[in-house]
Amino acid sequence: MTTASHETAQRTTEPTRAPLPVEPDPGTRRLSTAKAMVEAIAQQMRSNEEVFVLGEDVGAYGGIFSSTTGLLDEFGPDRVRDTPISETAFIGLATGAAVEGMRPIVELMFVDFFGVCMDQIYNHMAKIHFESGGNVTVPMVLTTATGGGYSDGAQHSQCLWGTFAHLPGMKVVVPATPYDAKGLMTAAVRCDDPVVYMFHKGVMGLPWMAKNPRSVGPVPEEEYEVPIGKAKVVREGTDLTIVTVSLSLHHSLDVAEKLAGEGIDAEVIDLRTIVPLDREAIAASVSKTKRLLVVDEDYQSFGLSGEVIASVVEREPTALTAVERVCTPDVPIPYAHDLEYAVLPTRDRIEAAVRRLAGAK
Amino acid sequence: MVGGIQVTPQQTNQQMPQQATPDTAQDQARDVAQQPAGSQLLETGRRELLRTMILIRTFEEAILRDYHADKSPAFDIGAGLIPGEMHLSAGQEPVAAGVCAHLTSDDAVTATHRPHHLAIAHGMDLRRLAAEIFGRETGLGHGRGGHMHLFDPDTHFSCSGIIAEGYPPALGQAFAFRTRGSDAVAVAVTGEGAANQGGFHESLNLAALWHLPVVFVVEDNDWGISVPRSASTSVASNAARGAGYGIPAVRVEDNAVEDIHRAAGEAVARARAGGGPSLIEVHTLRLWGHFEGDAQAYRSDLEGVPGHDPIPTYESHLVDQGVLGESDLEVMHASAHERVEDAIGFARSSPTPDPADALKYVFSEGERR
Amino acid sequence: MTEVTFPSMSTGGCGTGVVATWFVTEGEAVHTDQLIAEVAMDKVDAEVLAPADGTISLEVAEGGEAAEGSVIALIQ
Repeated sequence: MTTASHETAQRTTEPTRAPLPVEPDPGTRRLSTAKAMVEAIAQQMRSNEEVFVLGEDVGAYGGIFSSTTGLLDEFGPDRVRDTPISETAFIGLATGAAVEGMRPIVELMFVDFFGVCMDQIYNHMAKIHFESGGNVTVPMVLTTATGGGYSDGAQHSQCLWGTFAHLPGMKVVVPATPYDAKGLMTAAVRCDDPVVYMFHKGVMGLPWMAKNPRSVGPVPEEEYEVPIGKAKVVREGTDLTIVTVSLSLHHSLDVAEKLAGEGIDAEVIDLRTIVPLDREAIAASVSKTKRLLVVDEDYQSFGLSGEVIASVVEREPTALTAVERVCTPDVPIPYAHDLEYAVLPTRDRIEAAVRRLAGAK
Repeated sequence: MVGGIQVTPQQTNQQMPQQATPDTAQDQARDVAQQPAGSQLLETGRRELLRTMILIRTFEEAILRDYHADKSPAFDIGAGLIPGEMHLSAGQEPVAAGVCAHLTSDDAVTATHRPHHLAIAHGMDLRRLAAEIFGRETGLGHGRGGHMHLFDPDTHFSCSGIIAEGYPPALGQAFAFRTRGSDAVAVAVTGEGAANQGGFHESLNLAALWHLPVVFVVEDNDWGISVPRSASTSVASNAARGAGYGIPAVRVEDNAVEDIHRAAGEAVARARAGGGPSLIEVHTLRLWGHFEGDAQAYRSDLEGVPGHDPIPTYESHLVDQGVLGESDLEVMHASAHERVEDAIGFARSSPTPDPADALKYVFSEGERR
Repeated sequence: MTEVTFPSMSTGGCGTGVVATWFVTEGEAVHTDQLIAEVAMDKVDAEVLAPADGTISLEVAEGGEAAEGSVIALIQ
């Protein structure tokens, strides 16, 4: 049996298309992160009839965090499907459809719900390509809402990208801005690997949740990609490197801009992708600044922040002179507002860490 | 596709050209697939059912032999040419033969940790199956998957070692077939133990709700490893659970291949015609242990088991009915033996994967656009 | 001069809502049908599109209240 016959048998129906522009000029038209994500999905659904969306409340409701608003009206109920509360069944369904060459976008409403369906995610979606020796691809996107800060409690406020990143076989992207939300969604849909697309509720720019102004930003109108696996130096600096992701990017930038006035010049890196991790970008920055702060809203221990630090130490063992991390500690996220904000990586905690690092010799 | 030739259920009694690859079980079963539900199997169909079962048993016996050959004197599960767990399907051949007779290579099958009978009956290449079991580079998964993780895009076959988790992807394959306007179906197979797992129930509900072309098959071999059905399942038959989801369901007793064939024919036809999912529970027989190395000390019915072996039973039945003679049986066994030993020989002489490639295949390379 | 008004979102037409998000800035050039704002009233959100081409001036701050039918921006 030849590889060619396998590809035919697995059947992808997309015509060969020209590659899309990569990270074009943002232009002036502004969208919220949620609307940018939806625009990416709509454009991919227009250009490929085998892209479809499924999940809880993705149809008429438009996604409870506005991740699919308007899609039902344009594409109809066969391509935008509300599911029962059956994550194992519908995420598994998406996996099987992807095995047959369709390109499903399936939403896990809150990342905290992964407990009821993780087998289909990490043992099937993520492993089929490997177990088949590369003969079967699973070109699907698993979208999911993450993050806290609005008192939704311990079971509805987690980030958990560290958990997904830890398990081989799935790419993990975490856009923080409208521009990256559209570009990474486009890349994720067109990627032949399973991609977990994790959007923080606090960056979506929702009318009913307090938002950072950076939740609205310029987004090109045309189709374009942001490459999966490439971090972005959002602010250049010389005194220390802040490596961060998601909503924490906005808080880190706020702190960096404030402290620039005091002569502390922070370089801020938005990872954008957790798997594959852009270790080279991180190491290059730290070899320049010598000091590293990781800001990560996921749990502190055994996760992303430790991986970033280990990665630097492995690559640049003598470069790093001081390191800190500002994360959610290893505690379930509390409900009461003051308790919740005591554990989240707030601007105050970030600022204190930056000052300590800047003062370190 | 089988040997590059598209076959649909609408083709009737056409002589198929001999394939270069020796997997002709699917092709010769075409006339069986043409029988309307409830009608008599042609003699050729009955012989084909037996031929398939003999091929499966011959293969499983060869794997049994080679699995144990180099694990003595003490049984070391990780040692030898076939390391790891081994779950063989002896005794469950009637399910595979009876169900897969109605399928073409365009139909999907998802199976369990005990997949060989279904893989063979569904037309998987024997050499690549054997090579994967032996962990060779020439195996279906280049040795990455092993016996519980067989993926064959040419026959839309997959299996999983996680109980009940083969049901949900079958829904997706069925969804893709229907979306594309094909009448292909997905057959999802689990054991009776899996019928108590959440994914089983979610899958039945969603398949019924979305009217998907799925045939759910439950192989009730009485034992979930060491736990009998009476200690795991709240109902006497999982066919009763079909009603709970609005799915037509039957239970086939006695592991009788022709009864299975009849029930599967109705279910597959229903799915192809857009009639939605069905559930078939077969009371089958696990002739050997749950896994190789299982002493089965817990198994109270062990003494009577060989007497219920479905293959000698069906052989006698067909001989008594004059469908075939003893010499035909000899030919069938010899032919199966030859095909199996060819496959095993291919596997044993194939290279093992290079450890330098151990990190390959995590993600696809050369992404198609 | 074209008025951009808070859309009608209730049966009575005299409710009060919030201009939740401005997608354009003061003095920016806008074109017809461009997304300029998202408003909210009684937990329902609505998009506001520019009714004309021109330069926009914002009459309500982001997060500020506005009555249905009231002017929230002007396009010149």
